[in-house]
Amino acid sequence: MNMARLAVFSPVDSTGRVDAVVRRLADAIAVGLLADGEQLPSEAELAGRLGVSTVTLREALMALRQQGMVETRRGRGGGSFVRLPAQLDPLARLRAFAADELRDFGDHYAAIAGTAARLAAERSLPSDVAPLWRTLDEMDAVAAAPETAGSGEACARLRRLDGRFHIEVAAASQSARLTQEEIRLQADIGPLLWLPHEGLSGHDETAAQHRAIAGAVERGDGEQARAVAERHVLDATRHLIELRLRLRE
Amino acid sequence: MSTPASLVQHDRAAAALARVRETAEGVFEALREVRDAAVACVLPAGGTRRPVVADLAALRPLLWARLRGGALPAHLPALIAGIGFIAAPGLLADAPWYLEWWQENPSGDPVQLLRNMDPASSAFYDYTHWDWYAGPFSGAERTICGPYVDYLCTDEYSLTLSVPVPAGGSFAGVAAADVFVRRFEAAVLPALREIPGPAFLVNAEGRVVASNTASWVAGSVYRGGPRDGDHAVRRVGDLPLSLVTTTAGRAG
Repeated sequence: MNMARLAVFSPVDSTGRVDAVVRRLADAIAVGLLADGEQLPSEAELAGRLGVSTVTLREALMALRQQGMVETRRGRGGGSFVRLPAQLDPLARLRAFAADELRDFGDHYAAIAGTAARLAAERSLPSDVAPLWRTLDEMDAVAAAPETAGSGEACARLRRLDGRFHIEVAAASQSARLTQEEIRLQADIGPLLWLPHEGLSGHDETAAQHRAIAGAVERGDGEQARAVAERHVLDATRHLIELRLRLRE
Repeated sequence: MSTPASLVQHDRAAAALARVRETAEGVFEALREVRDAAVACVLPAGGTRRPVVADLAALRPLLWARLRGGALPAHLPALIAGIGFIAAPGLLADAPWYLEWWQENPSGDPVQLLRNMDPASSAFYDYTHWDWYAGPFSGAERTICGPYVDYLCTDEYSLTLSVPVPAGGSFAGVAAADVFVRRFEAAVLPALREIPGPAFLVNAEGRVVASNTASWVAGSVYRGGPRDGDHAVRRVGDLPLSLVTTTAGRAG
């Protein structure tokens, strides 16, 4: 019997499942679909929902604890709680990527975001467009508030709203797969893409691109929506690569 | 002038309308039960004190039963993937935002979703903007939201059906159920397939929900309009759904 064929039909190994669970939860936490401080369901419940054994789930939770994304408290009122890994040094994360890897991320993300925006423009109805403008208005309000402008809290809020905007555009495409991919890419590289604009200096430019995307989606102009969405990702990637190249090892 | 072909189409369209109506009404019937049970929960002690999260636990046996397809006519497939009561913000004394929401679980007992919903801790949790909440809130007796990509709960292309829960003369929240588009389509496609020529079901906004043709697949948009003279549009009872059929020369 051919060994490669044997491997194909052997059970998916448990490491693969652990990784898949870690990835799913880490994506949701990074993007904010699971909120900071939120209690996760019990281990048995979570294992059932994700369709994995309790042992696999425990391994995954252990990995997430090591990454600082989940905290487990014992005793009364105990359980596993989501921790937003805000204290992770973004420059340290950036250092882990070579410039060509960032370029590749950007290429992939631009393909997803561009296609999602084109389909959103072709298929969206007023009820898909309204959330986009609401999110952009909220972002403007956060950026303009004099009491918080430039604070870490305002940046974190802007980053969450930025993520929500792009997920809303992806969802307007009516494609569940593109939406899932958008969420995954944001979890992978979203916090880094935001880096060059930290301190709100780039808010106007970013906001103008967001409004151009929403406008093209609203007009039903698929080609324009695709072009602006790709440009938005590629511009941010270029900023990021510049930043990476200036970092000393 | 009626030709035999158009008569056939008319009869089969009528049968499809009945099938769609029965399918959706089966879900709305479950929601009316949830609504009635929720009214009792949010007026504890005869409405003499404010309800708390724990009061909603009384809904669970009903929600679990409806997840398994309980009240639906036996010949219809179990459609409901998630069901529950969504409290109006500020209704409950001990949680400003709350969903008593349960989802099916292929490998065991139903599971509850995200218990703590606070918009301050996430950009995603203000549910008052979603059509399944805003529709009933603005007085719609029956809302069908979607198809839409449900990135909050299931990652599935879904419909959410909802009804208002009025209690003590005010709006207490909504009773809602999630139905995956693929299951709704499976329930109505046999009837759509019988219609000669392209036929598809659209929601109130014109989004295609189910269809017998690749030209109008679920998720695409039917914009109608005066130039579409060869389409006949029939409302599905008083539900926010319509059946669109092709009237000219494409029968067979």
